[in-house]
Order: sequence, then C-alpha cells, then structure tokens
Amino acid sequence: MKIRITYLGRSYQHAETLPEQIDLESGATIASAVQAVNSLLAETNLPGSCLVTVSGEHVGSVASFTDRPMREGEELVLIAPVAGG
Amino acid sequence: MPRPDTSYRSVATTRSRGLLRFLLNELPPNSREFGPEGTRPLRHQCPQHRTASARTLEPRVTVLNLTPEERERYDRQLGPGVLSEEGQLRLKQATALVTRVGGMGGPAAQMLAMAGVGNVIIAHGGQMISPDLNRQVLGSESVLGQPRAAEFAAYLRTMNRMVRVEAIDHEPDKDESNELAARCDIILACPPTFAERLRLNQAAVMAGIPLIDAAQWGMTGTLIVVQPGKTACLQCVYPDEPPFEELFPVVGAISCATGALAALEAIKILSGTGTPLFGRLLTYDGFVGRPTIVDLKRNPACPVCANSNP
Repeated sequence: MKIRITYLGRSYQHAETLPEQIDLESGATIASAVQAVNSLLAETNLPGSCLVTVSGEHVGSVASFTDRPMREGEELVLIAPVAGG
Repeated sequence: MPRPDTSYRSVATTRSRGLLRFLLNELPPNSREFGPEGTRPLRHQCPQHRTASARTLEPRVTVLNLTPEERERYDRQLGPGVLSEEGQLRLKQATALVTRVGGMGGPAAQMLAMAGVGNVIIAHGGQMISPDLNRQVLGSESVLGQPRAAEFAAYLRTMNRMVRVEAIDHEPDKDESNELAARCDIILACPPTFAERLRLNQAAVMAGIPLIDAAQWGMTGTLIVVQPGKTACLQCVYPDEPPFEELFPVVGAISCATGALAALEAIKILSGTGTPLFGRLLTYDGFVGRPTIVDLKRNPACPVCANSNP
C-alpha cells in the first residue's frame, strides 16, 4: 500500500531526506506510518507536539493521536508547530 | 469535508440591516449619535458574541454612517465580491487587538487600519533594532532605537486618519489580555511564543470572541482561526506548550503574506463577508510553494474551551 507523506512547519529542512511516498503493508495504521517516517528522518525524530493529519483531518499529535488503518493513496501530513511572530 | 458554520452571518446581517434602515430613514441628516456614551461595540450586536462578560458591559450605542470621505477611501473594496456598505459599517464599529505587531502583526494591523476597522489596538514592547527590519514593515531605519509601539501606531495613523489606533508598549499579561478581550471584537495573535499565544487564546475564549493565530518559521506561515465554543481552540491543538526557539529564522516575505491573510480573515469575520477559516489550520510552505488546509479536532476535555458556549 502506498501513502503520500509531507512534513511541514518548524525545521522543515529535516524532511529533505523524506520520499514523497512510502510503501506500507496492507492494513497498516497511522501509527505504523508515523513510525516509518521517524525511521526515515536522518537527523531528528518527530517532536511529540507535531500535529498528525491524514487526508485533511487532524487526528492529534505524535504524542497522542487517534489511530486507524490507512487507505491506499492517503496522505499523511505532519506539521511541527511554529510560533514565530 | 465539513464546512465551517456560517450561520452567524444571516443573523448579524438581519440585525445590521435594521440598524441601516434606521440610519437612512429615521435620523435627521446631521444626527450621528443617540445615547450618551458613544460607540456601541460590535459584539453587542452579534448573537455569537453574547457571553457572560459581554453582558456585563454597559450598552453603548452610536449610529454610524459612512462619510463621503470614507466612501471615497473604501471605494475599491465596496461592491460585489468584496464588502457591502453594511459590512464596511461593521468594520467601522469594530475593535481589533493585534499583538504583537512585528513581522506578521505589523502588516496585519496595517491592513486592518487601511480597510477601515474603526479601532485598532496594537501591543508590542521594546525598541526597534536592525534585525527587525527584514520583516517589520511598520518600522524604518529612521526609528531604530525608538519604542516600537508608539512609532508603529504613529505610522498607522498616517495610513488612515479615519480610524483610531491605540498603542500598548508592552505584551499584555493574563489579566490585561482578559481586559482587552472584553472590549474587543477579535484578537489577532502574532507573538513569538506559544505561552503568549495560549494566553490570548484563553482570553478570547473567555470573552467569546474569535481569535486568529498567525505564526511563522523560515519560509512557512500558519493560520488557525478559532470560533469559541464551536471550533477547536489553540489549547485543543496544543495541549502542552510546544518547544520553540526565541530567535527563529524567518524571511520577511512570508511574514507579510501570513499577516495579510490573518487580516483578511479578520475583515471577513468582522464584516460578515465570505467564509472564514473557522476551525481550520492553513499552512503555506513557501519553501516549496504549497498550501495545506486541515480541519482541526476539538478536544471535548479541553481545559480552556470545553465549557464555553457559542
């Protein structure tokens, strides 16, 4: 199953190593997708405050989110919070 | 995808239309006010702004109309697809708090003043320094070393003398944020810390007024638009204060773009025009040129907004 991944927000330069999409086993959940992204980040781990969204829906943060199976072609968007004024 | 609730518009429009009819038909030509106290805050006209704190305020009423000079000034923003005259009148009667007024809050405050928001309150401490000048458009080299709030307010007044600009030369603490929220119709939160943003969010929720959170890092800008009691508030999104560096990298172009979008949301909400981004997070990744919109989830156990009613 292929899903698209996007990393936005603070320190987005760390995401330059991420591919646009990744392969997951059929039935893989959001949690396994987040774990896969973490393993692909070269210099950092996803912060606990990083927002987790799937196909335009906010499901929580890396520290705590509502898990569910992902579907083929869905997009996982991770948004590291920014507060610059 | 669920759409944000916009039912407030029809109610507000009906009430304002009644006010307009009264203005146009029942007042003598040179009569501009009734009641003893001056301007009636916009919040007293809008059902969505009825909160415990709002009800405790003394009702003050002013009948306003657009002057010929105002009609001329706002001519390009009045008409189909932009603001109605009624919407422009609502802006004239509105009060907006912008804190702070640096990279994003500066252009946001400028756009609000130029659009004709009647009362713009800006809050920002400290003196202008050289690194500010890559993004803080209300400043200039001529005001380096000068207090930001006073200088920025003076500049805003030169942009539009038909609006009132109030300057606060420090960042409001919790009590002052609550006091300010009680006399405003909307808050634009543009400070550089999550602590200050969450404080303003709490003040907005307590007062029952919308909050627009504008933030940036590098070439990325974000907007969150909160409608208390109906959508996720900032505390729902960030239950624990996220870490953030004091000296963050930023390119001024994204500051201006994000600040201008924050002002546009405020203008829409205050005038009852268009569809606000209530309950959504807009992220513009300027590094690759990509916008993303996410529907935010409300936390039913949120310590700030769980018990607030629309």
